[in-house]
Amino acid sequence: MLDQMRHKSFYVLLGLSILFILMIRGCYDGEYMVNGRMVDNTAVAWHVSKIVFHLITAGMFLMVSMLSMKIFSRDHEDGSVVLFLSRSVVRWQYVLGRVTGTWALCLVFMFILHLTIFLTVWVKTGTLISGYLTASFVCSISLFFVIACICFLSLFMPGFISALFTMGMLFVGFISDGGYQIFNSDIVRAAVPSSINLEPALWRVLYPKVFMVQAYADTIISKGELHKMGPFHPLLNLFFFIFLIMVLMVNAFNRKEI
Amino acid sequence: MINLDSVTKKFGAHTAVDNVSYTIKKGASFALLGPNGAGKTTIVRMLLDFIKPSSGNITINGLPVSDPASRRHIGYVAEQHRIPPYLSGLEYLSRHASLIGLSGEEAGNEVDRVLGMVFMKGQERKKSAAYSRGMKQRMGLGAALLGKPELLILDEPVTGLDPIGIRDVRKIIEALRDKKMTVVLNSHLLSEVEKICDTAAIMYKGKILIKDNINAIVKDHETLEDVFFRYIENAK
Repeated sequence: MLDQMRHKSFYVLLGLSILFILMIRGCYDGEYMVNGRMVDNTAVAWHVSKIVFHLITAGMFLMVSMLSMKIFSRDHEDGSVVLFLSRSVVRWQYVLGRVTGTWALCLVFMFILHLTIFLTVWVKTGTLISGYLTASFVCSISLFFVIACICFLSLFMPGFISALFTMGMLFVGFISDGGYQIFNSDIVRAAVPSSINLEPALWRVLYPKVFMVQAYADTIISKGELHKMGPFHPLLNLFFFIFLIMVLMVNAFNRKEI
Repeated sequence: MINLDSVTKKFGAHTAVDNVSYTIKKGASFALLGPNGAGKTTIVRMLLDFIKPSSGNITINGLPVSDPASRRHIGYVAEQHRIPPYLSGLEYLSRHASLIGLSGEEAGNEVDRVLGMVFMKGQERKKSAAYSRGMKQRMGLGAALLGKPELLILDEPVTGLDPIGIRDVRKIIEALRDKKMTVVLNSHLLSEVEKICDTAAIMYKGKILIKDNINAIVKDHETLEDVFFRYIENAK
């Protein structure tokens, strides 16, 4: 975790995040008028906070990609891997330490950003958005998945390609799960009743549910209903994939020649 | 201490180490000699479990090298030792100290001790990116000496160093030899090996041509260099 904090990319992203939060802060100060009527400031703050919640998480996906894609290659180049493995450190400990360390850093980073928004809303409007911080922790599971996925792929291909590949995979999930959420929304159900009977293909049910976890986090904030795809909860789906990737990664790293 | 039993390592069709067997006793100063590509570094990497042998067994203190406990009392210096550029020498040594289970005052004292041994006192707070190659080698040697290891594995420790750097490293190794630490030295510099080690093995194309006490290998009016070239020429 401390090693990651020594790299320039971390501070560039930290600076950009602070700038973003400072810009967003202004949204809570204004008065909003729609069709000539004043809109309740608390309602605006709630909606803005929800949008910012997802923007922060999306930004974190980019950040973890940048931090994860070079973990193993950089350790190989700067001698860190020899430092650890020439001592009585077991390879799985090294892999797990690197992945969880990066995740812990990103979790704290994201939580601080979400907490800043949470506190800003509280100070400006006097409203506590319940579930906002719990949802932050839920989203961190997705971050773990992204870190694990990029690290695993980077054992076989250049880090940048592995990050692009993972982002592509997230995008496919976004289209698949997002489409499912839209088709099952109250508005579409009311407009097109036949959409209720549309059964998703098996690959869509089994696909890593990163977007669904994001949707689940959204329901924690909005107290809405999650239209989950298939019999498994998206968190269970993601836990399964994280476990699978970690096992494969440790296995691949055990075979790797240093 | 170290036992290699019929060890072979293949990289695809290329055999880097071919059916090598030998034993290094505790307290010995052992040199692995050979031209580039002889398989010396491959043996060192197998000793540290960085790569697995294609066949055969390697044990250190009776433990297979795949067992991390076999590395508990090993210090290792790589050829062109690399130190993460964002760490200072002190941070690097402290990290090694924590990896061998030292902490607090004990770790501080131990780091201080090895800094003195490798002539790096006063330089330890600089980032390693500012170190010369010789300083990195000495800091690597310092890290290897933390916790007073029983076995020191040195892979070409003086490659690329200037004569002063070579002399400094040699002095350190000589001091360790005198303290009866087991040293495995992998080197091209035969004159240095002759001064430091008591036993040597000459390798060529993955095979061991001879392994014996240096005094027994080197005949009257010969140097280790003469012996080395004689064996390599005969093997060609």
